[in-house]
Amino acid sequence: MRTRVTSAADMPTQTAIRAETPSASAVVVAGLRKSYGAMQAVRGVSFTVEHGEIFALLGPNGAGKTTILEILEGFRTRDAGRVDVLGADPGDRSEGRALRERIGLVLQDIAVEPYLTVRETIARNAGYYPAPRDVGEVIGLVGLTGQERKKVRSLSGGQKRRLDLALGLIGHPDLLFLDEPTTGFDPNARRDAWEVVRNLRGAGTTIMLTTHYMDEAQALADRVAVISDGQIVAEGTPATIGGRDHARARIHFTLPPGWTAADLPVAATPADGLVTVQTAEPTQTLHELTGWALAHGIVLGQLAVDRPSLEDIYLRLTEHGTPDPRPQRSTR
Amino acid sequence: MSIATAHYAPRREASLLWHQIRYEQLSFWRNPQSAFFTFLFPVVLITIFGALFHGGGGSSYFYGLSALQYYVPTIAALSVLGACYSQLAIVLSMRRQDGILKRVRATPLPAWTYFLGLLAHCIMVSVVDVVLISGIGALFGMPLPTHWPALALALVLGAASFCALGVAVASLIRNAEAAPAVVQLVLFPLLFISGTYMPIHSDVLNRISGALPVRPFNQALLGPFAQHTGFDWNNLAVLAAWGAAGAFIAIRRFRWNPRPQ
Repeated sequence: MRTRVTSAADMPTQTAIRAETPSASAVVVAGLRKSYGAMQAVRGVSFTVEHGEIFALLGPNGAGKTTILEILEGFRTRDAGRVDVLGADPGDRSEGRALRERIGLVLQDIAVEPYLTVRETIARNAGYYPAPRDVGEVIGLVGLTGQERKKVRSLSGGQKRRLDLALGLIGHPDLLFLDEPTTGFDPNARRDAWEVVRNLRGAGTTIMLTTHYMDEAQALADRVAVISDGQIVAEGTPATIGGRDHARARIHFTLPPGWTAADLPVAATPADGLVTVQTAEPTQTLHELTGWALAHGIVLGQLAVDRPSLEDIYLRLTEHGTPDPRPQRSTR
Repeated sequence: MSIATAHYAPRREASLLWHQIRYEQLSFWRNPQSAFFTFLFPVVLITIFGALFHGGGGSSYFYGLSALQYYVPTIAALSVLGACYSQLAIVLSMRRQDGILKRVRATPLPAWTYFLGLLAHCIMVSVVDVVLISGIGALFGMPLPTHWPALALALVLGAASFCALGVAVASLIRNAEAAPAVVQLVLFPLLFISGTYMPIHSDVLNRISGALPVRPFNQALLGPFAQHTGFDWNNLAVLAAWGAAGAFIAIRRFRWNPRPQ
């Protein structure tokens, strides 16, 4: 393991941290910046991906997800910051080949030669790696069994995506990058793809993916970082991110005609015909509300208790113009 | 555990190159469009010339050669231009636009193996082309070339130089839709002034085209094919210089990514 100073923006403290924990993480990103002209696409992003986990970069289109991924993959240069992928700097061409033997990539665009068959396409890429997976095994893994002899040009869009995934897996990578892996999939194909990704983690592959689907992050990721406007606005597990586990419960109901939120014994906000009460003590508050309703002989219609979904958190965090400048971190 | 020290055995590198050449060949022969442009056009052309001119004797218009003695080498040169320059410029522009080059870059396949594979593939296709055209010439009574080493050198050097120029043009073209037009725009006038379709009897024009890449290649093939002379070092040197210029531009300007940074 070598300690490398990659730019003037490298903090001495970061170098020190790295020296103490050599190769502890599969991916380390610190203070990453990238601008396209006057547009700052990535504005000081830091995160780590641990070996063996599924890490999701969640954010709306244009938030900087793909730029970050392409810097990690060695396709783009960075303006500032430190990037370490499996102990190597992806910006360093001399290490490129050895690094690429250990990483797999599935890019956003489908890009496969039209005139080869499925098996030929996978076998060709298998030859590029020192210890590839078995071609037949990968065909089975991505669900292309029975299509081996089909020409790529005659495959459906979903089948081409599966082939793309097969090309990402064939080299038996330690680390797999997936850029919006299920965009354009139908619900069944998405569940199949998720199963493949989970099985890969089970086999010890570290996976870093980008997505703008909340349910995908929720279903797959061990940890999520939410990115908005080139900055990470929250990081944590899908269950705790954005303080979701500590968030106040919400009680929703309707009031009969003649009653308003002001008549209630607790503070409430009316919206869309529903009255919402936020509370840190749902048991107590619910008791007060139902007690009050019974005492007045009225019914609380459509009564429901919930907590903010990952989607609510995501929408709050990525709401344009109001990003929390300081990343909220929750414990794992 | 620095991975930068990883060592690659020459045997593995050679088998990787062979692997790459095999799949380039497979992609090429499966694509009807590439086969059409690299084989059908020169074959039809030499067949027409053969039907028109066969049996004719030498004339001063063809520098003392028969018409077919003149056209077999120039059409052979044309076929190599198609197989190397045109084909590479168009295929690489399309592969870049479709993201296929970026996908190649995502694998550990070294860039030099990728390009060496393309070069070897193009030389093989050129050899098939030249054999086909000499064969059709022979059907119309043309003797086969006599100076094989000179022919082989001219063919390999010409193919390599036009491959380098093809990659250079692919490096300078921004979008794949423009590639065929740019390729033809450069090639068509060059073929005419270089005497591919008819002998040029203007000293000024010959001096100009003699410094451009096509005429030197024609001349280097005319020697071993028809005039029974050997190595044409002057023309081979001009050809090599153009190849080096093409390679320089290609190395400096080639992009794998469909979208610039």
